[in-house]
Amino acid sequence: MSSFPIRRYSLRLAAPLFALALAAGCATPPPADDAEAMADFVQVNDPFEPLNRDIFEFNQAVDRALLKPVAKGYREYVPQYGRERVRDFLQNLRSPLVFANDVLQGDPDRAMQTLMRFAFNTGFGIGGLFDVAQEGGITPHEEDFGQTLAVWGVGEGPYIVLPIMGPSNPRDTTGLVVEWVVDPVNYRLDRAGYEWAVWTRAGMTGIEKREKYLDVLDEVERQSIDYYAAVRSLYRQRRAAEVTNGKDIDKIPDTGLSSVGTTAIGLR
Amino acid sequence: MVMMSRRLVLVAAAAVLSLSLVRPALTADASTDPKAFVGRLADQALQTMLVKGLSDQERTQKFRELFVAAVDMPEISRFVLGRYWRSASAEQQQEFIRLFEDILVYTWAPRFKDYAVSINHEVVTVTPDGERGVLVESLVKRERQDPIKLMWRLRQPDGGYKVVDLAVANTWMAFTYRQEYGSVVSNQGGRIDGLLDAMRRKIAQLQADPNSARMN
Repeated sequence: MSSFPIRRYSLRLAAPLFALALAAGCATPPPADDAEAMADFVQVNDPFEPLNRDIFEFNQAVDRALLKPVAKGYREYVPQYGRERVRDFLQNLRSPLVFANDVLQGDPDRAMQTLMRFAFNTGFGIGGLFDVAQEGGITPHEEDFGQTLAVWGVGEGPYIVLPIMGPSNPRDTTGLVVEWVVDPVNYRLDRAGYEWAVWTRAGMTGIEKREKYLDVLDEVERQSIDYYAAVRSLYRQRRAAEVTNGKDIDKIPDTGLSSVGTTAIGLR
Repeated sequence: MVMMSRRLVLVAAAAVLSLSLVRPALTADASTDPKAFVGRLADQALQTMLVKGLSDQERTQKFRELFVAAVDMPEISRFVLGRYWRSASAEQQQEFIRLFEDILVYTWAPRFKDYAVSINHEVVTVTPDGERGVLVESLVKRERQDPIKLMWRLRQPDGGYKVVDLAVANTWMAFTYRQEYGSVVSNQGGRIDGLLDAMRRKIAQLQADPNSARMN
């Protein structure tokens, strides 16, 4: 009985608190009559910048204390051969999702590639430990539901930094959540009572991903003055390229031949 | 080193051969042929890094000479500073170009040294980009790893080609700097001197410890 009012109270508080946090975390837009400043503000697409920067800082602290050391240890103590097996295995587990996204994006050729890869690698590749399909000439590719939504015409929405997960936006966050819920591999594991396997997979995916980006992120941090802003720009460009599967990347930014920033450059 | 130089000779020979096969009628003049321009630029950069008996400083200096000759720094600087370029004084503009060149050289010189261990650079396609520009796509092929896709945005400010942006794995360098430095200036309340100070500190840091990112 005693917990009930508290829960109701906290629920009633949650919405306004969330709104307050957003408002407190809002960047001040430039005056509307400054067209160039406004164009830059729109292009950067980060209305929650102060809040995002706080979460980014929190993520960096977690990264320095935990994620990066673990990823480095993984690189140091697990030989490359072992890491390649882990990578191939995790990649194979993603195949059903990649296949579904290929289909949903209306790309039968790539869907067929994914299907063949899944069949070959699960069978001849011993449950996906070996990417035999790649050696046979069927190269892997990634697709996720965030990209599918983009192909369907859903805009990215404002840039947001998720706790732990890092750079994102409402569209890609939706994609993450949907895939987490519908992933057939996780669903089966869960049903069979192997919940630990679901979490182990998620943890290994995270470590594998962090290891992959060790050098790149170090390099970006080393050379940048504003690491947050550099990561934001790189994330958005990379996602835009992933959506188009690397085509048309030349259409993204243009130096506009010294038009001195009068042209707003849309990243879609 | 013998292996490497042999590979370089092979790569150079292959590049010359492929050029002569693709365009038998044209001489591969780097000032008029974007493919030759990019191919030669990458070769020179790699060779600079492979020359024996040079100190890191001498290598960086050689890289800088190549860089300055091939890259349109005033154009890139205007683009990177965007709307802040015009509010900057002539001195601030010159200072920005100078500092930005330092940052790019100290960032890229050690990187090219890394690549030079086992790579092979190949120009894939050339497409027109606007009225006076071209986009050149090339691949950096590495042993046992996926190739890195490069996209060079070239302009002809006065006759010869110059690089105005470079995309590495689908992210554009100058564009990223534009968004990053724009954010720095705007967080300094629009003060360009704040950015210039931050750039000086960054240069000191890059000079003091050029390999910091790869050492720890």
